[in-house]
Amino acid sequence: MKPTKYAMMRFATTLFVVCVSVSCQDFLDKPPQGSLTQTAFPVTAADALLATNAVYNTLRDPNFNSGLFPILDIMSDDANKGSNPDDQAATIGPFDRFEHIKTEGTLLRWWNTLYKAVRRANVVIEKVPLINMNETLRNRYVGEARFLRAFFYFDLVRAWGGVPKLTSVEPVTLPRSTPDEIYDLIIEDLEYAITVLPEKSAYSAADRGRATKGAARALLAKVHLFRGNFAEAASYALEVINSGEYSLEPVFADANSVNGEHGVESVFEVSSFGAEGLENGGNQYGNVQGVRGTPNRGWGFNRPTKNLRDDFEPGDPRLDATVIFLGETLDDVFIQGDGATPDVTTDSHGQEEIECYNQKVWTPGNTVPPSFGHNRRFIRYADVLLMAAEALNEINNPAQALVYLNQVRARARQGNVTILPDITETDKNALRDVILHERRVELALEGHRFWDLVRTGRAASVLGPLGFVPGKHELLPIPQTEIDLTQGLLTQNPGW
Amino acid sequence: MEKFYQRMRKNLIISLFIVFYGFTAFAQQLTVSGIVTDANDGNPLPGVNIAVKGTTLGTVTAADGTFSLQVPSATSELTVSFIGYKTMEVPVNGRTDLRIMLEADVTALQEVVVVGYGTVKKSDLTGSVSSIRGKDLTTVPAINPLQSLQGKVAGLQVASTSGAPGSGTYVRIRGIGTFNDSSPIFVVDGVILPNIDYLSAADIESIEVLKDASATAIYGSRGANGVIIVTTKKGSATGGYPVITATAEYSIQDLPKKIDLLNGREYAIVRNKINPGTYNNVDAVPDTDWQDLIFRTAPLQNYQISASGGTDKFQYFTSIGYFSQQGIIPKSSYERVTLRFNNFFHATKNVRFGSNLSFTPFTQQNTNGNAVFVAYRAWPTLEPFQPDGSYTPVPGVGNVLADIEYTNSFASGLRSVNNFFAEVDFLRNFTFKSSFGVDLDYSKTKSYTPVFFVSPQQQNPNDDLGKSFADRVDWLWENTLTYNRESGKHRINILAGFTAQESSSEFVSLGMENIIRPTEDFWYVNIFPNQTTNSYAYNGVNPAFNFSMISYLGRLNYTYNNKYLFTATFRRDGSSKFTPANRFANFPSVAFGWNAINEPFLAGFASWLSNMKLRASWGVIGNEKINYERQYSLVQNGVNALFGDDVIYPGATYGVSGNPDLKWESTTQTDVGLELGFWNDRLTAEIDYYHRITSDILVDLAVPGYYGNGDGAVITFNAAEVLNRGIELKLDWKGSYRDLQYSVGAVATTIHNETLKVSGTGGLNDRLLGLFNGRAVTRTAPGLPLGAFYGYRVIGVFQNTEELNNYPHLSTTQVGDLKFEDVNGDGVLNGDDRTYLGSPVPKLLYGFNFNLNYRQFDFTADFQGQHGNKIFNGKEIVRPDPYNFEQRYFNFWDGEGTSNTEPRPSNGGVNYEPSSRYIYSGSFFRLRNISIGYTLPAQWVQKLGLKSARAFVRVTNLFTVSNFTGYQPEIVSGNAILNGIDGGTYPVPRISTVGLNIGL
Repeated sequence: MKPTKYAMMRFATTLFVVCVSVSCQDFLDKPPQGSLTQTAFPVTAADALLATNAVYNTLRDPNFNSGLFPILDIMSDDANKGSNPDDQAATIGPFDRFEHIKTEGTLLRWWNTLYKAVRRANVVIEKVPLINMNETLRNRYVGEARFLRAFFYFDLVRAWGGVPKLTSVEPVTLPRSTPDEIYDLIIEDLEYAITVLPEKSAYSAADRGRATKGAARALLAKVHLFRGNFAEAASYALEVINSGEYSLEPVFADANSVNGEHGVESVFEVSSFGAEGLENGGNQYGNVQGVRGTPNRGWGFNRPTKNLRDDFEPGDPRLDATVIFLGETLDDVFIQGDGATPDVTTDSHGQEEIECYNQKVWTPGNTVPPSFGHNRRFIRYADVLLMAAEALNEINNPAQALVYLNQVRARARQGNVTILPDITETDKNALRDVILHERRVELALEGHRFWDLVRTGRAASVLGPLGFVPGKHELLPIPQTEIDLTQGLLTQNPGW
Repeated sequence: MEKFYQRMRKNLIISLFIVFYGFTAFAQQLTVSGIVTDANDGNPLPGVNIAVKGTTLGTVTAADGTFSLQVPSATSELTVSFIGYKTMEVPVNGRTDLRIMLEADVTALQEVVVVGYGTVKKSDLTGSVSSIRGKDLTTVPAINPLQSLQGKVAGLQVASTSGAPGSGTYVRIRGIGTFNDSSPIFVVDGVILPNIDYLSAADIESIEVLKDASATAIYGSRGANGVIIVTTKKGSATGGYPVITATAEYSIQDLPKKIDLLNGREYAIVRNKINPGTYNNVDAVPDTDWQDLIFRTAPLQNYQISASGGTDKFQYFTSIGYFSQQGIIPKSSYERVTLRFNNFFHATKNVRFGSNLSFTPFTQQNTNGNAVFVAYRAWPTLEPFQPDGSYTPVPGVGNVLADIEYTNSFASGLRSVNNFFAEVDFLRNFTFKSSFGVDLDYSKTKSYTPVFFVSPQQQNPNDDLGKSFADRVDWLWENTLTYNRESGKHRINILAGFTAQESSSEFVSLGMENIIRPTEDFWYVNIFPNQTTNSYAYNGVNPAFNFSMISYLGRLNYTYNNKYLFTATFRRDGSSKFTPANRFANFPSVAFGWNAINEPFLAGFASWLSNMKLRASWGVIGNEKINYERQYSLVQNGVNALFGDDVIYPGATYGVSGNPDLKWESTTQTDVGLELGFWNDRLTAEIDYYHRITSDILVDLAVPGYYGNGDGAVITFNAAEVLNRGIELKLDWKGSYRDLQYSVGAVATTIHNETLKVSGTGGLNDRLLGLFNGRAVTRTAPGLPLGAFYGYRVIGVFQNTEELNNYPHLSTTQVGDLKFEDVNGDGVLNGDDRTYLGSPVPKLLYGFNFNLNYRQFDFTADFQGQHGNKIFNGKEIVRPDPYNFEQRYFNFWDGEGTSNTEPRPSNGGVNYEPSSRYIYSGSFFRLRNISIGYTLPAQWVQKLGLKSARAFVRVTNLFTVSNFTGYQPEIVSGNAILNGIDGGTYPVPRISTVGLNIGL
């Protein structure tokens, strides 16, 4: 027995020793094939560009668009849920009536996607400065990432208030910050971006769509407007206006159409290619709101309300460029609509609701793929003009405010002197109402209305009849899942 | 009979000659033929020596146990001998057709069971191992030999994942041990493999199912979900000509059962309730049965020929098989050729070597994967074709016939599993064996969708071509040293081994649009100059197979006085799948056995008690079939952005964070077994209690979204724990009455499957939700089975407004809708009221097997069933649009008191929330197999130049008793938390077979 055991042990030991000392560790070392680990990226100038491009990718992520569905407009008085009455009735329908709940998946998808975007920006902001490369380019990349990070946090802070302030690629346990802390980060990022980003005209044609100095100034103007810092808002908006980089599209519809992509009015927009899928260059934003039925362009969410349609001044041609009505012909395509959707019904607030669609996301064609090609305009020059007008009015400069307001109206009127007369109102309060009305019809269904109502304190009066509860519905609820996963470290917003 | 031969004589000159010579032979000698079977189980015994006493005349039985021999006179005596059996002297006594039954020689040799890295006598076995001999493996025509084992092995659950030709087989041993891959590993002639779909059942000598830790721990980090050892056929020393056997089977498959859906008129009536006025005259609508349009009867063919034989220095077995199955839905088929060459050489007295080589090319066609579900939902009120012959658009789902026509999906490949081995005996008691195995797997797919237009929702404006290529090369080198010694009352066997394995694979897929011509000759990714085309490529490794492993293993078997048994095993595995800190792990097991039957105090019961053995084992085994690549924090490629004139620029960024601490799952299993034999083992019983706890199960847990991993991103943690326990019972009765031999067997397995934990410290979840069609239909939480069904419990239908107002309900509920129970009684009906609705895991698996042999006839019937599981009928709840309904919807609520089970007709809405309405019993009882065979009398077949011939008819899946409305109650999925959900599975066909077995 004993000698046998020893023989075996010798055998085993020999094998073991040979293995361990010579080749075992090498043999068992199998790095992932075809994939780079995060510690090895980004380390070159080419990596820096890849990492920077990746931040822009999120702008086309279906869930970046408020969790796939345009809930901001649906919550506003501009739009109903749309689509077939049953479609997403239990998930998106409640936003129409402010009955949405904190476990709604749309909210979680949006939250998660914004933070994914923040993390992608942080990769550039944290790692690219360590790369040995052309300094100007390096600063531009970091500037682009900081612009985008500010852009993402601006959505987060407006939607949820003080959120965790993630500024590093390493996940760390974070409580909620205050709204001021988030706004400070946004302002700091944008001020930096203004110093390093080129103007729109300084980019080559191939780089159209990247963050610009003008976009950073416009966004910063908007941030200050939301903060009530009207002097700063006016100052940054005027810098954009006076840069000479932008003007209004001669035709209103082109401000959002294919013709105006990256045109004179475009301050910040995301390029999209007419193919289904993020990976193929598509953006589902237009598809989700596209015409249902014939032609089959999409899902038909975000249906313009009667309230919005009625708010256009008589003869305002922007109404027809904002709403697709059944029976109209657009780019040679006859809009027949969806046979399974009632043409006329009553919405949950007792208002007449007709089958119609958001024309601002329209792309020519009668199939689904081109509907993924709509370039979503995040900031356009008309918005900047109206921000300037609003801020100037607030700082008691109605005369200059009227100049910019009337530029917008002049373009809308298309030379027809019988409609949309120039505004001459100089009473601050009255002019404030006029400018807000102009924002509503000029920027309808572009995602501005709900937050405009909240920031101007009008949400309670305008949206109250729709179910808005002051002190609660200004903010969305922190997704319940997020509270559960942080074991209560993240606290819920008031009223939820 | 005599008349038959007389007719033949008249008609065929050649038969005259044969019969003439036959008679002349009879005049002097006697041709004796017959069959040798095992007296115990009635199985034919091949290779039995039959000698005419006092002469040099003799023969050996063929593979089916038959023989034929000329004897000098009617009074000759035959000596029938076979290793492991008592030698028998059989006087001919003038008979020409002998049925010889050999008794096993219990004292001389006992049944040997194949275990990991060796064999052990059944009586010395301390583990729980089920053995199945080759004959039982060919009872079902299928690409996977395990299909024949349904209902035959205690503790083993075998099911088809789908009835589509070439689809996989679901195999689970003793419950479901993990949320991840809980299928066992396969060891074929010593090569460890992920599956055995390449093996022809006719090439298999035996299958052993290793169940407890004592048996599986020698496979260490791979044994946790059981091990199935397959031994292919070897030649035996026949001396002269080879034993040649051939089998031919031809089968017709059909759909055993249609789903009872609404016909055109019924659908129109229901639809009018939902959308009044849809059909003006419900009696005038068409009535199309879409099921009839997609299902057909289809042939299945299976042919096999093998030759085996050799001398005492060299033995061989070689075979070729052909399997061809057409699907019962058009454009699905599977075709396979199996080639095998097994060789064994004795180089010297002490040195042996050999090889087992196999080559399996296959081709497969897949029909449209949604066809079953689309046909289920299609409106019966639509004719399939329009008057002009074009396809009718079917709202919502599309026209299934168009789906099938425009689907062109093919796969083909070659699998080759080979091993080479050498054994050396030295120093009297030592044997060293080295074995090198390779598993080569090459496959490719192609799919093509032409340009077509049925409706705006069912069209393809640009044709698409997709191609993929996959290869995998594994090698495994195993070296073992065994020491075997028997001395007095001690018997000892020691095994030590070292093994190394490496696996690598690659997968490439390519696609293209706008092919220049639609025909198959142009299905290549070939971008012509100046052609505007969209093409794309994806190239990646398949990381699940890219790994290496080093193992050290050892086993000690000790038997004292044939009574007391002890086994200890140990394996240490090192795997590239884990970071250096977690790279090595140890897997021990110990087991004890007691052959009580050999105790003197039981000797007095020997007249009726023939076996009594107790055994107990404990061990720790691992499961490394996990997504180990989740340990890496990888850079995500293809995160592109568009700039300029919609030009796509590449982008890359941090992907989801990994968990560098990942390690394998480990299972601790305890088994206690009792084996009994009565009346010389005519009745045997084996009963086992098993208890398996799997811990460190890898689960994907959500982490806070603000970490920035993205929506739905999860991180994998070793966090969950699962319990499986139960009892296995196997009973066999074998007997005979005159010329009738019969055996009756029964197996039963109980399974208690329970989740103990699903949460970890690094990530959080109190439950794992299984989403079907975007909705949570299962919930896996502590105290519940894996993938427990989850939803509202229906307690009736709201009959009137008063009832609706007085009971909590979802906000959109109307009178006539389902009434869900306010489970937590808080007066509000919401997601918190969803509750446990049943388990997808059967509580009981059972089977009954009957075998009869009467003279030339044999009869088999195998029954199989399961009990206690539920099925979620997912087909019914996918309802954004008005689709066809199952029959029960015709009994819809139509005013107070009309129904308290069926709601008012509706599309979507509360009635389609996952609820107990869609939960069906998954219990069933099935006649899995019934066959009748007739072995032609030896004197007939000899005249045809054959040694033996048997013809048979057989029906597989003849009937199934079940309450489920779907095609079959056996709905399985490899995804443990989305199991038992019928989303429109390709039905498993009924197969009617005629066949012929021939020995040459």
